[in-house]
Amino acid sequence: MSDAAISRAVHPWWASRRLGFLAAALVIAALPMMLTGNYWQTNLTICAINVLLALGLDFILGYAGQLNLGQSAFYGLGAYVSTLLITRLGVPFWAAFAAGVAFAGLAGMILATFAVRLRGHYLAIASLGFAVITYQILLNWINLTQGPLGIYAIPPPPAITIPGLPAISFRNPVALFYLVAGVTLLVYFILDQLVRSPIGETLTAIREDEVSAASLGINTALWKVFAFGVGAAVGGAAGCFYATFVGTLVPDAFFITESFTILAMVIVGGMGTLIGPVFGAVLLTLLPEVLRGVGDLRLMVYGAVLTLVVLFMPGGLVQAARVVGARLGLSR
Amino acid sequence: MTLLSAKGLHKSFGGVRAVRDISCDIPEGTVFAIIGPNGAGKSTMLNLISGVYQPESGSLTFAGQTLAGLPAYRRVRLGIARTFQKIRLFKQLSVLDNVVAGFHVHHDIPAWHYLLHGGAFRRDQARCRADAMELLAFVGLAARREALAGSLSYGEQRMLEFARALATKPKLLLIDEPAAGLNAAEVDSLLDRILTTRKQGVTVVVVEHNMELVMNVADRILVMDYGQHLFEGAPAEVQKNPAVASAYLGGELM
Ligand SMILES: Nc1ncnc2c1ncn2[C@@H]1O[C@H](COP(=O)(O)OP(=O)(O)OP(=O)(O)O)[C@@H](O)[C@H]1O
Ligand SMILES: [Mg+2]
Repeated sequence: MSDAAISRAVHPWWASRRLGFLAAALVIAALPMMLTGNYWQTNLTICAINVLLALGLDFILGYAGQLNLGQSAFYGLGAYVSTLLITRLGVPFWAAFAAGVAFAGLAGMILATFAVRLRGHYLAIASLGFAVITYQILLNWINLTQGPLGIYAIPPPPAITIPGLPAISFRNPVALFYLVAGVTLLVYFILDQLVRSPIGETLTAIREDEVSAASLGINTALWKVFAFGVGAAVGGAAGCFYATFVGTLVPDAFFITESFTILAMVIVGGMGTLIGPVFGAVLLTLLPEVLRGVGDLRLMVYGAVLTLVVLFMPGGLVQAARVVGARLGLSR
Repeated sequence: MTLLSAKGLHKSFGGVRAVRDISCDIPEGTVFAIIGPNGAGKSTMLNLISGVYQPESGSLTFAGQTLAGLPAYRRVRLGIARTFQKIRLFKQLSVLDNVVAGFHVHHDIPAWHYLLHGGAFRRDQARCRADAMELLAFVGLAARREALAGSLSYGEQRMLEFARALATKPKLLLIDEPAAGLNAAEVDSLLDRILTTRKQGVTVVVVEHNMELVMNVADRILVMDYGQHLFEGAPAEVQKNPAVASAYLGGELM
């Protein structure tokens, strides 16, 4: 077989990355047209925000192997920092967005710097503690955050005006969905590039065995801080979008249970892959909605899905897809 | 010329004095063996040299530079690599990816390439993979490149760890009981590869219980017992030494 033929066999057309991104862009473009009505369009945007959250956690947990239960805090910090800058200081949206992302990323790096010697359960507890403290600060620093009273009337991102075309206003929920989903796709692209570079090799080496990683010259402390910084910044971006999308902000949106929901999305989807958490986030966002009709039973179904995945499909949806693919003879 | 020089090293764990007052000079381009009964402190010596532990007192000098206070990962850049007595591979990664991870300190492309994967990036990736395949061929694992490291046989895992350590391009390679669990044929090929590695200019420190291997591969041998320096000399001298023989209770060595 020629090199090109081998490459085609290993990377068939339907698995090509460029086509994958193109298909994703088309799906994003088509979704609001297929799922019309306020209810669905709201859910679509929530899906995109949750995908961002899951991608950020997966970078820390699935790639660097660090059990981070503080994702809800980075989410909340991104939301509050950007919103306070906009509502109190009149900072333009995109500058506030950048500040929210940077602040969340910095918080992740600081947490990692202190927790860098901790592993497994201890890191989980430390990061959960960070989420609890952050929530308490958002709740009790009333002068700044208005606590449980909440912040209202958060404006949408400024309209985009292109000369010669009608202005694109983000008061339109479809436009806002396109914005959030577009940024999510960009984040996916960036993370995908990173994990397919030596950075990905370095992070997975740390995940697999830290002592070995150090014996290959890897500064494990530094790279863990890096992974936390990136993953927390992505969580912060999700927070900025959440605030502008919902228009009101209360601390309860960032209670620690949110960390576990995001964790479930990553696990159900398949951690250590980027595509897995995307589907995990969409599934676990829509499943409770689909099951709304059965009332409180939906929480049971939700819990059962999670338990079944952990017990029988520890690789999540990605593993399930591989098994099915192999049965159908699609994979190599 | 001396590549590594240890002077008066001490290291204890609670009440256990694992290494007591060990000094040695390891000449460049040689195979230096450390032997001794179980618990003699051999692995602790490797851990002190590689930086997993810092000595309580004494000094280590590598190529004229002090190693005091340097963490393990910094010593890799200076050219110190190692394998582990209890195998520590990246079990869930492929054989090839295990070796590729060993090139960590040798990627030299601008940071933005990690984001945009330009030409220099692709050349660097191709070079790493080619070099990794070369190392896998050297240890006889080229055909297993796609397998998960954890699925290899014990002997293959030892050889993979050897290849991964070589990927860091060391000047000094520390190997801890490389023959443990290997069959006779595997020990022979290991011997071969250690000698080839030395021929390529790498200085090797080997801790090993298999005396046949040690006697055939070592230029000099340090014998330790209860953390202490018992004897140091050429293989023939070690074999003749009565103190060494009695530390091994008379049998094993002869
Ligand atoms: N991390 C540690 N914590 C506590 N004690 C240790 C530690 N590492 C080594 N020791 C103790 O130090 C002594 C020397 O151990 P070391 O592993 O260096 O021996 P060794 O010569 O490599 O033995 P073996 O041939 O069994 O591998 C032993 O008594 C061991 O129990
Ligand atoms: Mg040992």
